[in-house]
Amino acid sequence: MRLGAALLLALGTLAPGASASAQTAGSPGASLPRASDGKPDLTGVWEALTTANDDIQDHAARLGVPAGQGIVEGNEIPYKPGALAKKQQNARNRETEDPEAKCFLLGVPRTTYAPFPFQIVYSPAYMAIFSEYAHTTRSVFMNSEHPPGPIEWFMGDSRGRWDGDTLVVDVVHFTDNTWFDRAGNYHSTDLHVVERYSLVTPDHIRYEATIEDPQVYTRPWKISLVLYRRKEANVRILEYECYVYAEEEAVRRGELGPK
Amino acid sequence: MVGTVRVSVASTIATALAWLLVSTPVAGQEGGGGGPAGFRAAPVAGCPQISRLFWPCAKAKAATFNPPRNPDGTPNMNGAWNPITANGSQNIEDFAGDAFLGRQISIIVDPPDGKVPYLPQWANKRQDNWDHYIDPIGSCFYTGVPRQVYGPRGQAFIQAPGLFAIVSEFAHQYRTIPTDNSPHIGDSLRLYMGDSRGRWEGNTLVVDTTNLTDRTWLSISGHFHSEALHVTERFTLIDPDVILYETTLVDPKVFRQPWTMAMPLVRFEKGHEVWEEPCFESDHDLPLLLQEHKLWFGLTPPR
Repeated sequence: MRLGAALLLALGTLAPGASASAQTAGSPGASLPRASDGKPDLTGVWEALTTANDDIQDHAARLGVPAGQGIVEGNEIPYKPGALAKKQQNARNRETEDPEAKCFLLGVPRTTYAPFPFQIVYSPAYMAIFSEYAHTTRSVFMNSEHPPGPIEWFMGDSRGRWDGDTLVVDVVHFTDNTWFDRAGNYHSTDLHVVERYSLVTPDHIRYEATIEDPQVYTRPWKISLVLYRRKEANVRILEYECYVYAEEEAVRRGELGPK
Repeated sequence: MVGTVRVSVASTIATALAWLLVSTPVAGQEGGGGGPAGFRAAPVAGCPQISRLFWPCAKAKAATFNPPRNPDGTPNMNGAWNPITANGSQNIEDFAGDAFLGRQISIIVDPPDGKVPYLPQWANKRQDNWDHYIDPIGSCFYTGVPRQVYGPRGQAFIQAPGLFAIVSEFAHQYRTIPTDNSPHIGDSLRLYMGDSRGRWEGNTLVVDTTNLTDRTWLSISGHFHSEALHVTERFTLIDPDVILYETTLVDPKVFRQPWTMAMPLVRFEKGHEVWEEPCFESDHDLPLLLQEHKLWFGLTPPR
């Protein structure tokens, strides 16, 4: 009971804007593990426990899809007039058109809440986020500028900086070939994501992202979720080689290769 | 028929070369001048580039060099590194160069003849691979280990306490190497990049990799191995900007003895960043390649 209360207290400090106080002696931040540069140590294997990859908004259960509470603040994605129709079309065509169905890189922020573990490796100049899904690497270059665009990358260009004890990652230079979920929520090449990673206990990260895309939405909107540290003994990222398996199956069925 | 085959092979190679040429300005020009007389002539950290000469020279330097260090005392290898003499892993043995693959001077230092010591029953398999299969990295599959280190485009190393990570630009692949005395994963789990565990022996990072598959090659030219492959790698700074990279391969199903490659890894210019290469996501010529060549899903036993 007392432990539960302590966890709630720790999570309470995650409210936006509260991170700067986390370094104060006696606060929960004082006992966090720290990297060589004194910043909270995000190194490790993490995984989200939401159903957001199915739908980032509240959704009822259907065959093969568990119900889930959304990760969108206020549960509303502010699509511009006309933009919602494209989302609905995506949803209808998801079995073939979802980038995940094609084994493509999932993009940001979807890679964070996709149902695969990922590993954060941190050095003061360069952080990398490795996902088990299709050997996805996200490089987060610290305290540096985005290269000039236009560049279209699946995972965008990520630049990190510390705001007190919160890691803030600014991501631009996206393709429009990724979605946010299997429900067809989408963006354009003007997508701009600002992520905030706050270690609230040694084993929990509060993850928030602000999503901006003036081509598609009327205003910026936010998602938030909790990332959990994988604690199993000797746990490591394995391999989910999506397109290898798909091609192997296609060859087996005679759909790919010489007839 | 012959003409058709040639077109298909050429497109395979064109695909491979396209990667090599996009962002490795050093590859193919090393040694300065790029002409035959200057091929790999320029020394690296005071040692000749050619592996059989580089190896003893670099080992002597490694014995006395005191490298820059991380806060935890380990030698500092953070940064981006270029295997300048590996030609993007086109070939690992001596090769004169032809219409498809560039000139190579063997990067194999043991055995001294610079050749992969295949068991007799595998003597023709590399040629068969070249003739009939797409190099796995040509279809955006993992390079495997140790090819990750000497494959196309160079790698970034990230060091954290208890962990060493290698990020490749090629196909956004990566490898994490715990250096915390943790054990290998269960033997039945097989991974394209295997299970790597590292330890520091003095100033050398020694990496032991098991749990590999037979689904990766060692070069574009078709050198191969079985799932019994066991790889040991040694990374040693011999200069702030040069690593001596040595790797020994043991595979009793395919090789008649352990064998070793050695080569320099040279630091990219300051500020070099490894960027995203969406290989599979932008790969549109697979149906063309598959007209005459097969995807490689592992080693077929010899007939």
